[in-house]
Amino acid sequence: MSARREDRGTVSGGFGATLKGLATVFRQVFRADVTEEYPRRIQPPPPRSHIGRHRLNRHEDGLEKCIGCELCAFACPADAIWVVGADNDPEHPVSPGERYAKDYQINYLRCIMCGMCVEACPTRALTLTSAYEMSFLTREDAILTKDQLLEPPAPLGTAPGTEEG
Amino acid sequence: MSVEPEPVTLTIDGKEVTVPTGTLVIRAAEQLGIEIPRFCDHPFLDPVGACRQCYVEIEGQRKLFTACTTEVAAGMVVHTQNTSELAHEGQVANLEFLLINHPLDCPICDRGGECPLQDQTMAFGPGESRYIEPKRVYRKPIPLSPLVLLDRERCVLCARCTRFCDQISGDRFIEMFARGAGQQVAIAAGEDFRSPFSGNTIQICPVGALTASTYRFVARPFDVHVADGICGHCSAGCNVRVDVRRGEVVRVLARDNAEVNDAWICDKGRFAFRAADGPGRVTTPLIRERGLEPASFDEVLGRVAEWSRGARVAFLTGGRLADEDAFALSKLARVAFGTNDLDHRRAFHGGLAEELEAASALRVTYRDVERAGAILVVGLDAEQEVPILHLRIRKAARRGARVFVVHSRETRLSDVAEHLLCRPGQEGAVLERLIEGGAAGSDEERVARALRTAEGAVVLAGSLLAEHPLATDVALRLSRRLGAGFALVPRRAGDRGALRAGVHPALLPGGRRLAVASERAEVEAVWGELRSSEPGRNGREILEACARREIDVLFLVGVDPLRDVPDAALARRALENVPVKVVQSLELGELEPYADAFLPAAALHEREGHLTTWEGRSQRTRPVRAPAGLSRPDWEIFAGLAEAVGAPLGFGSVEELREEMEALLAPREVSERPTAWVGAGVPQWLDEVTLFTYPLLVDEGRLSEGASELKAALEEPAFVEVHPEDAERLHLADGGWARVRTGAGEATLPVRVSSRVAQGSVFVPFNQPGLEANRLLSGRFTAAATLEAVPGGGEGARGGEGIAGPEAKT
Repeated sequence: MSARREDRGTVSGGFGATLKGLATVFRQVFRADVTEEYPRRIQPPPPRSHIGRHRLNRHEDGLEKCIGCELCAFACPADAIWVVGADNDPEHPVSPGERYAKDYQINYLRCIMCGMCVEACPTRALTLTSAYEMSFLTREDAILTKDQLLEPPAPLGTAPGTEEG
Repeated sequence: MSVEPEPVTLTIDGKEVTVPTGTLVIRAAEQLGIEIPRFCDHPFLDPVGACRQCYVEIEGQRKLFTACTTEVAAGMVVHTQNTSELAHEGQVANLEFLLINHPLDCPICDRGGECPLQDQTMAFGPGESRYIEPKRVYRKPIPLSPLVLLDRERCVLCARCTRFCDQISGDRFIEMFARGAGQQVAIAAGEDFRSPFSGNTIQICPVGALTASTYRFVARPFDVHVADGICGHCSAGCNVRVDVRRGEVVRVLARDNAEVNDAWICDKGRFAFRAADGPGRVTTPLIRERGLEPASFDEVLGRVAEWSRGARVAFLTGGRLADEDAFALSKLARVAFGTNDLDHRRAFHGGLAEELEAASALRVTYRDVERAGAILVVGLDAEQEVPILHLRIRKAARRGARVFVVHSRETRLSDVAEHLLCRPGQEGAVLERLIEGGAAGSDEERVARALRTAEGAVVLAGSLLAEHPLATDVALRLSRRLGAGFALVPRRAGDRGALRAGVHPALLPGGRRLAVASERAEVEAVWGELRSSEPGRNGREILEACARREIDVLFLVGVDPLRDVPDAALARRALENVPVKVVQSLELGELEPYADAFLPAAALHEREGHLTTWEGRSQRTRPVRAPAGLSRPDWEIFAGLAEAVGAPLGFGSVEELREEMEALLAPREVSERPTAWVGAGVPQWLDEVTLFTYPLLVDEGRLSEGASELKAALEEPAFVEVHPEDAERLHLADGGWARVRTGAGEATLPVRVSSRVAQGSVFVPFNQPGLEANRLLSGRFTAAATLEAVPGGGEGARGGEGIAGPEAKT
């Protein structure tokens, strides 16, 4: 209470403070906007950012890195990942070794983008991309299947709700 | 053996514990709640000290000791890794050593997530390995059988699997081979791991070296819902864990229960789990209009009630029902329909032995078998019929019990038991001779003496004994004479529970005789007055009455007479002549053209309930998922039906049902009456040979549907087994073909010449691919038969019923 009484101070001191405040206002008025004009103007994120949709990677020879071990599903705190392993056909392997993922799905209505799955992946098969646009028109659309996850994410600006989408 | 060992007191990690002499240090530590890491140690296997993981320091000793092989001594002071730096270092070093050649391919390994090596490395291990050289590499995995896959890279050479085969199942298919770093589990070249217990080696493997082909890459421990169930494949009552991923059963594991199955289950219990998820499963009520059409439960139950109003009704069931269902069925038939025409059996014992089994429980237990000084097995092929009982008999034999088998065919107990082979139907006569003590110098005399002098003898009688009407009672009398325990060992999981519940034409719940007023009154006190006090028809008589059109409505509950009844022709006649057939089951199968109404039942792992073992032990089984579709537990369907006919059973929940059940099924004393054995009843063998049959473990049974790996591993196509002397007389050659003819039909089958089968009798399995043997039978599991050689299986191999031509085999 006593501090507040002091703050009021003299008339001149009070007016000085007001001027100081106004100066801040005017300084900000002529600064550039920080707000992104999304989705009218879509800014690409920094090149090495890993903030968006997952991607399942391949080895250079085209084999899938994913071996269907389910460690990502185990690590997932939101139970968003579904994996079913299966035996590789030695003649036509999908991935190196005995096991591959017959089915792989991520439900983006559940995913909280924590990246624990990526940390758990023993083969670096699962990584995050910079595709941060996660809007879907149906619940089914929000579950990405293995063939979708193996493909690079759609370019920015094509998700539903953006201008192109 | 019965003398209790002296107690010994020792100190582990500063805590005192008193245990019996002979206890291993690792077990004593367990009692204190101290966990010592281990791989090779298994409570049901002999100690071996192969993995060296359980090092402890013992005061006064210069070296570390393995806790799993060291017996306690008075005053011993033990330090585990918790209090001894030396023991801790030893364990860490050993784990690092075990991991040298371990591939660490945990992400692709089926054991990942539930692996003792993984867990104990995390808990007790070094965390890092200093080994950077290339690891030992093998081809992986190699199939030991269509069920078991071996990955030698992952093996830590604990020898649990080989010890299991040696000590428990007694079929030494796999063995440790070579030495040092090259040591590996191996099987003889060209040999398959054809043990009906092979799956246990997978479960006890502490790493992922042995994996199941049925579970390969299927799920992880965190994917599955699990529930504690009871196996429904036979009367052994094995405690199992059922794993379900997304509503589908993916795995069955054994649970430890030293009173019942120790830690083991047979391969049928482990690998035949797909029947309820198969394409044949029907989960909606159906009613016959133009064809069989889906309908609501109310609609179907209403129609069935309408059909059975004032009609002559009969109930047939098999061995699938849980105790609660059997009890509800017993009450439904008697209270709601006023009939005693109900039965679950396919072999008709009758007599005092059956009443005793119905009246009381646990007169002979697994434990009694295990501790018996002598065991007499009569008319029972335990390995094929009740496999876990077979393991217990072997365990008893290892503890020194003398085992004798009276049977028409040598069983897999042959390495531990003495067989008295006899023609089928003659078991009673052999038992009679044992009672009399046997002729001087005969086998019987020797066996009788061994049984008489043994400490704690047990007589186990199988269902083949029912071929003679009084043979079970003779077996009972023999057991009384010897002062031995006696048990009738039924084959199917629901048999004993159905008998206890009174799904029987002459016995009410608890083995109370319908015809005896005082015993009937005990049931009437709970159920109200029963409309009929006349014993009803047994299973066979029901079918005969159906064929004669003396029954209007036949309920078939979890049974397919066309396959299950040992008289296929009669079953067909019955189904063709009875006006209304109501089927209640998991599937329709061959009954589809006959059924007028279908009521979908829930599978065992979809419902709450109990199953009774051959001992009479009632064990609770819990659901792992909700009933599929509209299916319901059988007892609920019975309750609904009773409601529809206007005579409610009076229980709305399984708890209420059990309350009533427990009141009526409390153990009762049964006064023993002398049995009249007609000594002249020894059959005169006029026919050429006697054909006999019983089901083998892995066959075409409905509950094994979908178990393709199991069948690939263990199922044999139909055959006829002939004694060498008979084969010579009938000019049959091993591997050749024979036409088997009985009064009911004929079949052409490949011949096996073997002295395993008694002379004068031929064995045909009941339901193997190529032959449904009930087409050769007329009401019993034995039949007079003639055999003739079919050269090369040539022309005439077809025709008649149930023919398996040689063409079908190729």
